[in-house]
Amino acid sequence: MRVQAIDHAAMLPLYLAAAAAVLALFAGRFAKAAGMIGLGAAAAAAVWVGLGPDRATFAVGDWHSYVADDAAMGTAALFAALAVLVAALSGRQAGEYWFLLAASAAGGIALAGSRDLITLIVAVETLTLPLYVLVTRPGRDGAEAGTTFLIASVTSSATALMGAALLYTASGTVHLEGLRAGLDGAHAGLTAAGAALLLAGLAFKLAAAPLHAWAPLVLERAPLPVATYLASASKLGGAVAITWVVYFGLSGTASAGVVIAVLSVASIVIGNLGALVQRRTVALLAWSGIAHAGYALAPLAVIMTATGRDQAGPAASAALAYAVFFVLLEASAFAAVTAVRPDAGGMFGSDERRTPRADLKSGGPLESVLKGGAGNVGPGGRIAELTGLWKSAPLPAAVLLFSVIGLAGLPPALAGTFAKVAVLEVLASSAVWLAVVVAAGAVVGLAYYLPLARVLLVGRADPAPRRFALAVALAGLALVAVSVAPQVVLDFTALSR
Amino acid sequence: MLLLAAGLPAAGALAVWGLRRKPYAHWIGAGAAALAFAAVAVLPVGRGSGAWFAAGGELTGGWWHQFAIEWAPSLHLEFSLAVDGVSWTLALLTALLGVLCCIHNAVGAEQRASDLLGADRAASAPLQVRAGSFETGGPPQAPNRVLGLLGGRRASAPVQEPPATVETGGPFPAAAPVHGVPAGALGDDSESPEWQSPILTALLLAVQAASTLVFLADNLVLFFIAFEAVLLPMWAIIHRYGDPAARRRAAAKFALFTVAGSLLMATGLFVAIADTGTADLGAIIVHGGVSDDVSLLVFALLALGFAVKAPLWPLHSWLPDAHTAAPTVGSVLLAGVLLKLGTYGLIRVAGGLAPDGAAEAAPVLAVLAAAGILVAGLVCLRLPEIKRLIAYSSVGHMGFVVLAFAAGTEAGIRAALFGNLAHGLVTPLLFFLAGALKARTHTGSLGALGGLRLAAPALAGLLGFAALASLGLPGLAGFWGEAFTVYAAAERGGAWLALAAAAAFGAFLAAAYLLRMLRRVSHGPVAPAAIGIGDVSAAEAAVWAPLVAGTLLLGLVPGPLLTLFSEGLL
Repeated sequence: MRVQAIDHAAMLPLYLAAAAAVLALFAGRFAKAAGMIGLGAAAAAAVWVGLGPDRATFAVGDWHSYVADDAAMGTAALFAALAVLVAALSGRQAGEYWFLLAASAAGGIALAGSRDLITLIVAVETLTLPLYVLVTRPGRDGAEAGTTFLIASVTSSATALMGAALLYTASGTVHLEGLRAGLDGAHAGLTAAGAALLLAGLAFKLAAAPLHAWAPLVLERAPLPVATYLASASKLGGAVAITWVVYFGLSGTASAGVVIAVLSVASIVIGNLGALVQRRTVALLAWSGIAHAGYALAPLAVIMTATGRDQAGPAASAALAYAVFFVLLEASAFAAVTAVRPDAGGMFGSDERRTPRADLKSGGPLESVLKGGAGNVGPGGRIAELTGLWKSAPLPAAVLLFSVIGLAGLPPALAGTFAKVAVLEVLASSAVWLAVVVAAGAVVGLAYYLPLARVLLVGRADPAPRRFALAVALAGLALVAVSVAPQVVLDFTALSR
Repeated sequence: MLLLAAGLPAAGALAVWGLRRKPYAHWIGAGAAALAFAAVAVLPVGRGSGAWFAAGGELTGGWWHQFAIEWAPSLHLEFSLAVDGVSWTLALLTALLGVLCCIHNAVGAEQRASDLLGADRAASAPLQVRAGSFETGGPPQAPNRVLGLLGGRRASAPVQEPPATVETGGPFPAAAPVHGVPAGALGDDSESPEWQSPILTALLLAVQAASTLVFLADNLVLFFIAFEAVLLPMWAIIHRYGDPAARRRAAAKFALFTVAGSLLMATGLFVAIADTGTADLGAIIVHGGVSDDVSLLVFALLALGFAVKAPLWPLHSWLPDAHTAAPTVGSVLLAGVLLKLGTYGLIRVAGGLAPDGAAEAAPVLAVLAAAGILVAGLVCLRLPEIKRLIAYSSVGHMGFVVLAFAAGTEAGIRAALFGNLAHGLVTPLLFFLAGALKARTHTGSLGALGGLRLAAPALAGLLGFAALASLGLPGLAGFWGEAFTVYAAAERGGAWLALAAAAAFGAFLAAAYLLRMLRRVSHGPVAPAAIGIGDVSAAEAAVWAPLVAGTLLLGLVPGPLLTLFSEGLL
């Protein structure tokens, strides 16, 4: 039996992340350090591999299951970096916490390199599985969040698997490269059904409508660092999976474009309308994140027209670029919120719960942690509680402000502006109506982002806890860096076959 | 120099913000604005002939100066600036208004500081000061420091009370009598209790920087980014420093309208970029714009976007609210600079990128413009508030500009550019005067004013001058733009004659409502509100003088400006 040679260099980031997970499990009190160092090494390795020549391994003929090109390694590095950020934002936790986090990051890195449906779905599962445990805070609320997430996730996985099976039936292969050729003369109904099921299932990760409802609920009730991870790395996973499938596999399939267009428009409408009525910080970010998922999907929808299919490359690049800018903004926003909220951390170590002094001061018993935990406010708190953050905690407030303005897409937070420009540029050339939908969505977005920004700036507040200053500052610096030099992101998100 | 012109105000904004606790922060802002003005003013030095020629496969030479560095090539984004006769005049106007607004702020702050110092000696200041420092909610300001009344911002219960009064919006009831200083000095209290904050100066400079960048941008993506960059500082100006009763609504309306417009515009720009494969504004214009089949689409999207900003009837409804709510300097910049962004975009970008689409859409545009002129005129006849009246008159003036542009002839385009610039001088002057008037009398209601001619003759004289300039008296700046607009429209013949007649009637209405305003404000017996108000101070005169001089100059010698426009790239 001939054994295939494996390009271990291409797999290096994945090995490192997996090693970090194992180390964290057994390192005892050094688990956090081991996990963070291992993931940092994985990120560095991904950058190193990405800067070198493109690599690929696990080949069947010309089709590879695992590819380490610029886009894959760039997103892999981002997965690892986001996991490091989340680790830095988590207080003291039990060893399992770091193991689960690193395992999830390893899933993300595997996802970035995957080029066949089976690897892709397994990677998505690896990314998601540890989160079932992580989202569950002790208490009834946490259990509800965990169960919701579990059920929604399992359902969507089953949906995606069914879709993958249908596509396999239609084309006879699971390799994305093979799908493109194999679907050419395939049964149209089968292809359409397969594409719809697969994409809808994967859209769950991105929290795109119609499988969006879990996101606000789970994000709000999960511990804030985990919510940060869910809103950034996990969504990046969804965006990467959909982009890979659409670009590498389905870029010749018009029906996939229609599915994406429906998902996109539905997400933009539902996300924006939902966000308009939110009064709590995390809920607002979660609902608006649904709208952003819609913007990220929008460019991929151009493959439903013939002219758009010639544009599949730029369209997929724009979608990925938008997703990258978006998760950076979202991660910074959540990091800043985590840093100023008193109830952060504490999943396995619930005895560490901080004195709810600030809460008691600000709102009396109604908003105290004890009730806040049991009621439906969640650890993120109300928007009104951020009043005057600018004065009580300038650094997190500045980062949060920058992220919020960026999410609204306005200068001087250019990261968001560039994301919007990237998407609109693709849409303007082949689907002007969708560009108008995106524009309208962004206008509605302003209606809830500006009040949030205003709340941060005006008024006075009681002193907020100041923690994780370094992590928040680094997240802010990353944002400023991509605002000044967007080409860094745009270079690795430029997709090619 | 191009870089300095846009960079200095931005750097100034940061510096002022960084030094906002220092008493001299205002003057740093004014200095930065003055330097930026100087940088813009010397731009014509060493300019080329204005003719385009091919060199090394690239068209070049049409701009006076150019500057470009790569930024994000995959987005077609290049930090590329260029200037010619059309954009230079507008950039100069922006810089001039920036300087004037900064000085206005600085002078106001000085005055207030000295008043407070005087009042403190009478041992009656604490109440007033506390209100100031609290409502800012932020860094204690210069006067407080002088007084040594820092006292901790979140000090104690007594501090909690004054802000409530201030927040509810009324001018501080006891302030003027207790201090025993002229009402005018403290008057802007009625506009906003914290109008003299250095942060306002920083925001003004940010608006100035972004607007200058819009005028100088030679790259469509950069143009879009700069266009959007104007929004946030202006929103903050209206929102934080505006009239307490109306500012929130007005600011939100302004932001939503503007963003909707600029995103539609962005879509149009990107369609054009996709069609031509480049984002170089000059190159696209020289090559005759986008191809025929997308021309109308591009123009429609761009025109819709710019029409919000310009504003063109019926998309103007944000403007009166924003103007009425904004502080004086905010109104000045809105009228003098932000509206110009819309018309500049319409004339240079929309007209330049899609000349065919512009020609096709011209009748629609012209009818809307003429309707805007008439509607604005009729509305103005009945408006009871002076700032709102001036704001609505802007809608009429911009109607003239758009009508002239729609006529599409050479005379029309020049009339549009000229009217644009004239409006940028006259209306800011009117807003300065209205602001001064409101500051002195604490009311903007035409019914409550009167007898200004007797109470403050110089102020009344200036108001009369500005009103006459605005209604288009020959010999003043307003005349040429409007006269040529009517001429350009009439020149096209046919149905355009009716539009020309409508515009002429609109000019007549403008005369009617402005004279009505003068009659109410200047003539008649001295109204109670106007009794004992101070006349024009030296500092105010210095701020307003350049605008008066410019109005006279443009009115008497329009020739050089028209020559500049004719060399411009359109």
